[in-house]
Amino acid sequence: MNARLDSFSYDDEIVRKFLWATMIWGLVGFLIGLIIAIQLPLPGFNAAPYLTFGRLRPLHTNAVIFAFAGNAFFCGAYYSTQRLLKARMWSDALSKVHFWGWQAIIVAAAITLPLGFTQSKEYAELEWPIDIAIAVVWVAFAVNYFVTLTKRRERHIYVAIWFYIASIITVALLHIFNNLSVPAGAFKSYSIYAGVQDAFMQWWYGHNAVAFFLTTPFLGLMYYFMPKAADRPVFSYKLSILHFWSLVFLYIWAGPHHLHYTALPDWASTLGMLFSVMLWMPSWGGMVNGLLTLRGAWHKVTEDPILKFFVVAVTAYGMSTFEGPMLSIKSVNALAHYTDWIIAHVHTGALGWNGFLTFGMVYWLAPRLFQTEIFSKKLMEWHFWLATFGILLYVVAIYSAGATQGLMWRAFDETGRLQYPDFVETVMRLMPMYWVRVMGGTLYITGMLVGIYNLYRTWASRPATYEVPVVQAAPLNPAYTDPHAPATGGLWARFTDMGWHRRWEGMPLFFSVMTAIAVIVASLFEIVPTFLIKSNVPTIASIKPYTPLELAGRNIYQREGCFNCHSQMIRPLMYETERYGDYSKPGESVYEHPFLWGSRRIGPDLARLGGKYPDLWHVRHMYNPREVVQKSIMPAYPHLQTAVIDFAAIQKSVDAMAMIGVPYGDAVNTAPELARAQAAQVAASVEAAGGPKGLADKEIVALTAYLQRLGRDLKNATAGGAR
Amino acid sequence: MADNDNDKLLEHAYDGIQEYDNPLPTWWKWIFYVTILVVPIYYWDPMGIGVGPGKEKAYEEQMAAFSAAHPKTAGTYTDEQVAAFAKDPARVEAGKVVYTTYCVPCHRPDGGGQIGPNLTDDFWIHGGRPTDVMKTVVEGVLAKGMPNWGKMLKPDQVEGVVGYVITLHGTNPANPKAPEGVQAAPDSVPSVSQGAAGPAKKGM
Repeated sequence: MNARLDSFSYDDEIVRKFLWATMIWGLVGFLIGLIIAIQLPLPGFNAAPYLTFGRLRPLHTNAVIFAFAGNAFFCGAYYSTQRLLKARMWSDALSKVHFWGWQAIIVAAAITLPLGFTQSKEYAELEWPIDIAIAVVWVAFAVNYFVTLTKRRERHIYVAIWFYIASIITVALLHIFNNLSVPAGAFKSYSIYAGVQDAFMQWWYGHNAVAFFLTTPFLGLMYYFMPKAADRPVFSYKLSILHFWSLVFLYIWAGPHHLHYTALPDWASTLGMLFSVMLWMPSWGGMVNGLLTLRGAWHKVTEDPILKFFVVAVTAYGMSTFEGPMLSIKSVNALAHYTDWIIAHVHTGALGWNGFLTFGMVYWLAPRLFQTEIFSKKLMEWHFWLATFGILLYVVAIYSAGATQGLMWRAFDETGRLQYPDFVETVMRLMPMYWVRVMGGTLYITGMLVGIYNLYRTWASRPATYEVPVVQAAPLNPAYTDPHAPATGGLWARFTDMGWHRRWEGMPLFFSVMTAIAVIVASLFEIVPTFLIKSNVPTIASIKPYTPLELAGRNIYQREGCFNCHSQMIRPLMYETERYGDYSKPGESVYEHPFLWGSRRIGPDLARLGGKYPDLWHVRHMYNPREVVQKSIMPAYPHLQTAVIDFAAIQKSVDAMAMIGVPYGDAVNTAPELARAQAAQVAASVEAAGGPKGLADKEIVALTAYLQRLGRDLKNATAGGAR
Repeated sequence: MADNDNDKLLEHAYDGIQEYDNPLPTWWKWIFYVTILVVPIYYWDPMGIGVGPGKEKAYEEQMAAFSAAHPKTAGTYTDEQVAAFAKDPARVEAGKVVYTTYCVPCHRPDGGGQIGPNLTDDFWIHGGRPTDVMKTVVEGVLAKGMPNWGKMLKPDQVEGVVGYVITLHGTNPANPKAPEGVQAAPDSVPSVSQGAAGPAKKGM
């Protein structure tokens, strides 16, 4: 043993900061969720233009994922990593850059999303300047983290650290490659990918954001805080190894299950499904290791609200990671896709797994960080029960809503007609369930408020100055040799002995490289063929780029977040083509930067909307949807009749699109003129039909032109005509 | 701590956290193997429960089977039959409900027309014979923005709403839209007096 001991202390100040950020942003994220939950049954609750459902929904998802869960991960990771490595974070300055940078990004998101600045890719909505900031802050975090790893005083890295490493590396990759785009202004950009490829990249990202932002970081937290709180050893080291590597390798492939029956090629869809099914047990490895760690400690669960939070968290994790593989089966997905079922699924995960693990962790940390007793154990119990009933109400209502809508969409009557051909009828049926969701959400938020009050009171009784305990530990001995004798026998015997893995655990940087390789190799297996196989996207000659005015209209469609409620992707399923028209072809999306296929149908699909109604219908419908469709729950957009089109910006949009290969020809030079001419035509048609006058330079005309174009090119192809 | 004292603890500890050297749970291992086995079974599909012919082919097969099971009922009505719908009070009353829900946004409650044409005058864009009106409702005129309501409405709803529209003819809405289309020959248009049972009868 090395006799010399280092004396050092842990940086708990940064942990305290992240703890408060977690709870405050969590409350904000949940409240926005409540607002948008009320907006659905009560469309008048949409305060246009900034606070409509389409703009707030991304703010809700971003706040909960990146602000609430993100800060919770950082909070727990900074606390546990230092102790597991017996080392203070390498640079307090970088820790602070990470904290303040991350909070600034959240504030930027909270400002820009309601303003309508969005890339319109789910959970990657933030525009390019913020994306760059995220990358910079993430690198600061990563550098600090990896240097700390090299300065550790514990030879081997514990399983929690493996999960943190995988998260840090993979999130960086996902973020960078999904957000590659060409700017067309300070807060506007177009994805460099189009259509099928963009959809693939987005769900490679989207699915793995769930994996590497909401799953692996929280598994890491579980592996530290649960055995700590239960004071029990972890059930199985071998299981940790196997489920870690299988999870990291298999997860990456699963993204295409978000695109079953879409224009994504079948082979990708099949891969996505099969790898999702294989992912079931690797995911459950975490649940098993968590729950079985409580063996012999179940009597404590009844007394300790912290363990109660953990048990519900791990159970919710188990439920949603069983449901995930099940939903990835194509035939199940055909029913569930585009419905509230998916919303219920993610809320089991977010409210149950991420929320409860965070609450348990925060309550465990609070007395240690604030160096005092928790203010009230009773309030912890209240928080637990309020939130538990909140989740139950929420998911029961929304699972029923999902199943109801999915079944209504596909129902045929005995004469071979759709049983519910009027889409709005399938929406009306959900209203009672939407109100139950509002109640469930309110309970969950009430619990959160109780929790914040409890934490505040705990904090208020902190000592005048925090004690900073000095820790002593020996530095790593460079002359160390592995005491473990390598297993004898064949390859299999040496593999199952796991001595090799023990050695990897002593080499964190090598371990990180191996993790990166697992993730990158798995990604390339799907990405390379998606981009290289030509038959993935058969060309359709009649598909032409949008006109400059239509492109401006599309920008408005993106800005208002229409894709949050409307898909543009008709699946080759009888009940879809019967309702919406011919199914969507891959070749139709070749100029779609980014793709706007959508993932949820709160309103009907729009892929074949063009030409279905006259221009005036759209003008009136956008002004007040209920004038045209009595029971519609869509927000009203009256401001589109007064807002003036930014014709100068259209040129920038066209130029950016041209730069990424959209054949714009002459429009590259004359976009504003072309747009004005088309706008005058649309405005004239509206006026001639008896609609409002003087719309020729108003945004509604651009949006109408875009909506009237949707699906037109394919119809022209089948009619043999030119546009 | 009673029930697992026999489990072997590994020597190492991290910040006080220890780990057992327990083997993988048998059920866990076997379910994992089974999910891996799903891959060849699904992909090569020896039992016909797997990947199948692909989504487009499967769709075409489904469509063929469906149309075989549901032969198109040729909606052949005579002018007399359609005109009779307008004289059936119950049918017209039901048709008014349909009209109020789906037609009012474009044709106004009194049929005077707004986005869509005036339904009360003698001018018809797509023909004024009762079967023409029926055809326009069922098939729509997509180029002009008239949806094909045959998809949206059940046959009895279509019959009702066509009957109701016929009763609107000859009424005098306030502020009507200017006539569009061709004036129909007098004998081809059922007049309100023919459809006298219509509850919406105004004037005349």
